[in-house]
Amino acid sequence: MRAGIVSWGAYIPKYRIRTEDIAATWGDDPARIVDLYLVYEKSVEGYDEDAVTIATEAARRALRRGAVDPKRIGAVYSGTESKPYAVKPISSILIDALGLANNVFAVDMEFACKAASDGIVAIAGLVESGRIEYGLAVGTDTSQGEPGEHLDYSASSGGVAYVIGRDGVAAEFETIYTYNSDTPDFWRREGSPYPMHGEGFTGEPAYFRHVVGAAKGLMERHGYKVSDFAYAVFHQPNGRFPMRAASMLGFPPDKVKPGIVVTHIGNTYNASALMGLARVLEQAKPGDKILLVTFGSGAGSNAFVLNVTDAVLERQKADVPKVDEMIADKIYIDYAMYLKNRKMVKLFE
Amino acid sequence: MTDVWINGTAMVQTGRHYNLNMDEMAARVLDEALKDAGYPELDALFVASATAEQADRQQMLGTYIAARLGLDKVATYRVENADGSGGSALMAAAMAVRSGVYGCVAVVGVDKPNDVLSNQQQDIYSTATDSVYERYFGVTPAAQAALMAKMYLSKYEYKYEDLALWPVLMHKYGASNPYAYIRKQAKIEDVLDSELVSDPLRLYDVGPMADGAAAAILCGRKGVAKVLGMWSSANAVPFNARQDYDVLYSAREAAERAYRMAGITPRDVATAEVHDSYSILGVLAAEALGLAPRGGLLASLRGGSEVRANLSGGLKSRGNVMGATGVYQAVEVVWQLVGRGPFKRVDGSIGVIHSMGGVDATSTVVVLGL
Amino acid sequence: MEHESVPLYWRNIPSYYRLAAKRCRKCGEVYYPPVVKCPRCGSSELEDFQLPHEGELVEFTVLRSVPTDYMKQKPLVIGLVKLGPVKVLGQIVDAAPEKLKAGQRMEVVFRRVVVDGKYGLVMYGYKFRPRP
Repeated sequence: MRAGIVSWGAYIPKYRIRTEDIAATWGDDPARIVDLYLVYEKSVEGYDEDAVTIATEAARRALRRGAVDPKRIGAVYSGTESKPYAVKPISSILIDALGLANNVFAVDMEFACKAASDGIVAIAGLVESGRIEYGLAVGTDTSQGEPGEHLDYSASSGGVAYVIGRDGVAAEFETIYTYNSDTPDFWRREGSPYPMHGEGFTGEPAYFRHVVGAAKGLMERHGYKVSDFAYAVFHQPNGRFPMRAASMLGFPPDKVKPGIVVTHIGNTYNASALMGLARVLEQAKPGDKILLVTFGSGAGSNAFVLNVTDAVLERQKADVPKVDEMIADKIYIDYAMYLKNRKMVKLFE
Repeated sequence: MTDVWINGTAMVQTGRHYNLNMDEMAARVLDEALKDAGYPELDALFVASATAEQADRQQMLGTYIAARLGLDKVATYRVENADGSGGSALMAAAMAVRSGVYGCVAVVGVDKPNDVLSNQQQDIYSTATDSVYERYFGVTPAAQAALMAKMYLSKYEYKYEDLALWPVLMHKYGASNPYAYIRKQAKIEDVLDSELVSDPLRLYDVGPMADGAAAAILCGRKGVAKVLGMWSSANAVPFNARQDYDVLYSAREAAERAYRMAGITPRDVATAEVHDSYSILGVLAAEALGLAPRGGLLASLRGGSEVRANLSGGLKSRGNVMGATGVYQAVEVVWQLVGRGPFKRVDGSIGVIHSMGGVDATSTVVVLGL
Repeated sequence: MEHESVPLYWRNIPSYYRLAAKRCRKCGEVYYPPVVKCPRCGSSELEDFQLPHEGELVEFTVLRSVPTDYMKQKPLVIGLVKLGPVKVLGQIVDAAPEKLKAGQRMEVVFRRVVVDGKYGLVMYGYKFRPRP
């Protein structure tokens, strides 16, 4: 029996900053920036939030939505590129924060924005091999861009968690595929506060090559057509890239739009595509097929074909915040509060 | 058991004593008190302090005070109950004499919160709250007092203007006390306009941190004032778990038992010094001591009565000298009973001290009489 | 290099992360902070009891005079929140104090509490915010 998503949970911090307020500070033309990236505003973590707290909230919600007994979780894998420690995992904190058993595989994954989906792949393997009953894959980030640089218009904060198992599956992993190479489009050296990226180089040689490469590779090897899918969800560094990737693959926009969240919360990095997927799961119908393609700089993409089952209906009714509710639940802050919340102001150590 | 008498007293003006180390400051005031008592032979020294370890990094403060005066072979005891250390040390000293083990002992209260920054003062004061369950989360005594103030004002349908009458009265008394830190009178507008500390409490509702040292000599032989009754009681219920927030459980219990031991009722109390670290706590303390009915003190202040408490100006005017407070209170009550300057002799022969640690964590009540 | 005590934080993780209280097996009374012996009936038979992560606001205050660890987060909103059988003191976050009202529904959130400088531990714990 194939593994699949049993339940999901997402968390988006309440604070928002508008693109125009960032642009005003750094002398960019706000209209041009919005047009370039189609990101109108992005989520900002509170002063006392970080990738760990966001992961915890998302994971708690995933457990609650599926009424999953934490003691039956056999693995917790977190994917992030903004964890508070270079050495000390989020996953071990989740064990105690969620009340999991100690006999749990736990590790943090790194592959830029793709890491959380790598956790999904690994956990699917543990489940299908029968080594664990359920696993928790978490994507969480509070990523930053250098102030005054374009990355900071989209780099935002959020988290999504998936409970994966074989019992009570709401969306089965029918197929998994991957496409990776050494492509340095975006990286962050040890100790560096902000990442570096290659501007245009992040497009064709990186995002599009791997996203389209993974999607095409999966579809060709396994004989899928665009018409098989009700939805296509892509990694969303901005509002334009996923739509272009969709068009390159022949997906009509209305199959892609339901999975787009970046326009109003920005790019939540490891939670990006997974947040789009969560939104889709909150409206999908049994029998729907979903194509999910993640992307991480460095670079690589995982592609998944998900088969939605009847169990999704039960999950959709759970008393757990939905993605759209979280997107709408917001408090606007100005640029000064933005710098303060994100700890980008130089203080005594 | 031996009667306990206060034979000598001394205190220094509270405020900022940047130029004095704790042990020296304490030694000087101890010497004054010993002189006041006629230099009796001292058997033991009970030291009350809330900041000695955290601000000035000194353990065993008593041994160093003794060293500054050459008081060799004296027994030294360090008593700590946060800002209630003074009352606890006073009672410990009184019990030591009452037991007959010691003939004459000294209680010295000394604290120098102004040796550290204001945020560090809050750090130290917060160690009086539950370190794991309250201090860790940023809870301070001010926040706890503020919660009590909110609930008290709401329950008895008072306005903040009613609570403000307490600091106005305290500053009125303190204006004629040259030992007090703040001797300026306060108009009600000053109180209402002052900056918020933890709503509804404003600057004038909070005893300002002050350095101070005071000492009293207790002996078995007859002196100036006698210890008629004393009791110390802890409130073992954590702040979050309390049933009512319009009562100081520890003060109520300590007062009941101390009054019983002394054979008095609240009507007999001619003067009282109570622990108003925050105005609301002074109000609640006065009610706990029976100086006003529960929930009724502010109404009587509003009606024009003056409560016979804190003639020194209390922690509002004297400032919050933390652990030294209880010893200051003892000195002041003695001087109020006998009519020693700046205090006029009060109408009656019984005085009461209420010393409290934290926000109703522990209280000591001592009844003194001529 | 000095840093905050790790054991002091670590051993309180069940409380900080999950609000683990104690319940008396004999009389059913629940205690938070946990106790060693039941104050009501004297029994030593105490079991772990997980407090609910939702409740109602009893009272709150806006604290402006904050300790050192919170100087960059002032003012702190300190609230007393009823969670099931007990009340808990803690911070209220993500809420404008003017909009808070005694009696309103609150939920528990997991947040940073104290960060031990640039190189020390990040310490987490519970806070409260209004339930939407």
